[in-house]
Amino acid sequence: MKRLAVGGALGIALIALAMYPAYGTGYGNRAMLQIFMWIALAGSWNIISGLTGYVSFGHVAFFGAGAYTAGILIASRAWSWPMAAVAGGVAAGVLALGIGGPCLRLKGPYFAIAMLGLNEVLRALVSYFERLTGGGNGLSLPTLDATVPIYYAMGLTAIAVTLAARLIIGSRFGLRLMTIREDEVAAESMGIPTFRHKLLAFLLSAIGPGIAGALTARDQGYIEPLSVFPLATTITMIVMTLFGGKGTVWGPVLGAVVLFVAQEIVWARYPYIHPLLFGAIIIAVVLAMPRGVLGLLQLKYRLPRTI
Amino acid sequence: MPGGALEVIELHKHFGGVRAVNGVSFALERGRIYGLIGPNGSGKTTLFNCITGVERRDSGRILLDGVRVDGLKPYQIARRGVGRTFQVIRVFPELTALENLLVVTSGPRATAEARARELLAFVKLEGLAGEYAGNLSYGQQKLVEFVRMLMRDPSLILLDEPAAGVNRTLLNDLLEAVRRLRDRGKTVLLVEHDMKVVMGLCETVFVLDYGEKIAEGPPGVIQTNERVIEAYFGR
Repeated sequence: MKRLAVGGALGIALIALAMYPAYGTGYGNRAMLQIFMWIALAGSWNIISGLTGYVSFGHVAFFGAGAYTAGILIASRAWSWPMAAVAGGVAAGVLALGIGGPCLRLKGPYFAIAMLGLNEVLRALVSYFERLTGGGNGLSLPTLDATVPIYYAMGLTAIAVTLAARLIIGSRFGLRLMTIREDEVAAESMGIPTFRHKLLAFLLSAIGPGIAGALTARDQGYIEPLSVFPLATTITMIVMTLFGGKGTVWGPVLGAVVLFVAQEIVWARYPYIHPLLFGAIIIAVVLAMPRGVLGLLQLKYRLPRTI
Repeated sequence: MPGGALEVIELHKHFGGVRAVNGVSFALERGRIYGLIGPNGSGKTTLFNCITGVERRDSGRILLDGVRVDGLKPYQIARRGVGRTFQVIRVFPELTALENLLVVTSGPRATAEARARELLAFVKLEGLAGEYAGNLSYGQQKLVEFVRMLMRDPSLILLDEPAAGVNRTLLNDLLEAVRRLRDRGKTVLLVEHDMKVVMGLCETVFVLDYGEKIAEGPPGVIQTNERVIEAYFGR
C-alpha cells in the first residue's frame, strides 16, 4: 500500500515534470534544467563519496571533461548533440578508469587532494591545447535552440543517476561500498576486493557528470576553462549531498532542489551578500545535522536504507 | 572446504629499526587449536597481519595447504579460507548486524541471508539482526565479528584476543563454539592473554618474545619453561 502510494506520487511528479516545458516560462525551464543538472551531479558524487567515504574534491573534472569532449565534437566534427552527450559520458568514464587506478590507492585526505589536483591539471591542459579547445578564449558552438530537448535529456540523466543510486544502495554491492567507508582493512580481510569495488563506484560516479557537462556545453553554446572546471561546482555538489543526507538515495535530490531554490531566492533578494548568506546556511546545516536531513530521519524513525 | 594447514617459514617483518617478527617458523596441522602468547609488543598481532596479508612481510614464506600465500592481497587470502577477528573490534558500525554478515559473501541473496540469520541465531543475536552494529554492546559486537568471520566458512581461523572484555558466560559460549569448529575440522590459532583460556583450550602453544619464537609445546610444559617465565616476569 505504502509502496503503491510512493510509486503513484513519483509517477505524478514525473508526468508533471514531463509536461512542464509546454507551460513553463523561459526562466522556469532554465531553472528546472539547472535543478536536474544538480541532481545528476550531487547524486553521482554520492555514489563514490557518500558510499565509500572517498571524498572526491575534484568531481567537476568529469563535468568539464564531458563538456569539452562534447564541445569539440560538436564544433569541429559536427556531431549531433545527443551523440556528443553520450561521448561526454564515455570520456568521463574513461578518465575515471585511468585516474582511479593510481588515485584510489590513496587514503583519506590524499585522495581528496589528488582529485583537486586532477581538476587543476585538466583546466591547465584545456587552456594549453588552444587549437583544439580555443584555450582561454573558450570554445563557441554553432547556434542551436534546443533548450526543451536538453531539458528532457538532463531530466533523464537525473533520473538515471537516482535510479542507479537506488539499485546500488539496495544491493550487496552498495553495502560493500559502505564497508569501505566503515573499515577498509576489515572489509578486505573479509574477502571483499575493495579496490575493484572503489573503481567501479568511481566509474559509475563519473558518467553522470560527463553527460551533464556535455548537455550544459550544448545548452550554453559557449564554454571556457573557468566556466566548466570551477571548484565551486564540486563544493556545491558536496554541500547538496551532505544537506540531503550522504549515502541515501533521495538525499542528493532533496539537497539539490532545496539548496538551488534557496540560492535563487537569496540571490534575487540580496545580490551583494548572497554568497555570505549561503555560506552561513551551509555552516548552520552542517553543524546542526551532520548526517543531513534524510540521514537524521533515517536514524530517528528507522527508515529503510533505500530512502 | 578441507584444508587449513598453515606453515610459516623464517618470517621477518621490521618496522624501521623494530624487529616486530624476527625469523619465526611454525606449522599448524588441520583440525587443532593452537595458542600464540607473549608479552605486549612481542609481535603476535604483526604475525597475524602478515599471515592475513594486511602487512607485507619483508622475507620468509607462508604456505596454506602447501601453497604460498605470502604476497597475496588480504581479500585473496580470505577467499582461500582464512578468517580472522581483530584485537580491537572492527565491525561495520553503520551497517546492521545482519548486513555485517551479508556483505561477506556473494551468490544468491536468499542463501546468504539464511546463513547469516543462522549464524546470528548461533550466538543468540537473531533478535538484534536489524540493529546497527555500532549500537550493540561490546560483547555483542565481538560476537557479530566472530560470526561474520564464519560467513565464508574458513578452514583456518585466527582469533586475536577473543576473551578480552567478554564476560564469563559469553566467553564460555565462545570457547565452546571454537571447540565445535575444531571438531568440524577447522584449524584455530588464537592470540590470548588470559592464561586460563589458553591452557584450557589449546593443544599446542607458541611463545613469542621480541619477535622471536622462544618456546613451543603443550600448555603444561610451556608453563614451566624457564625462558617463558623469564620473558613474562624478567630474570
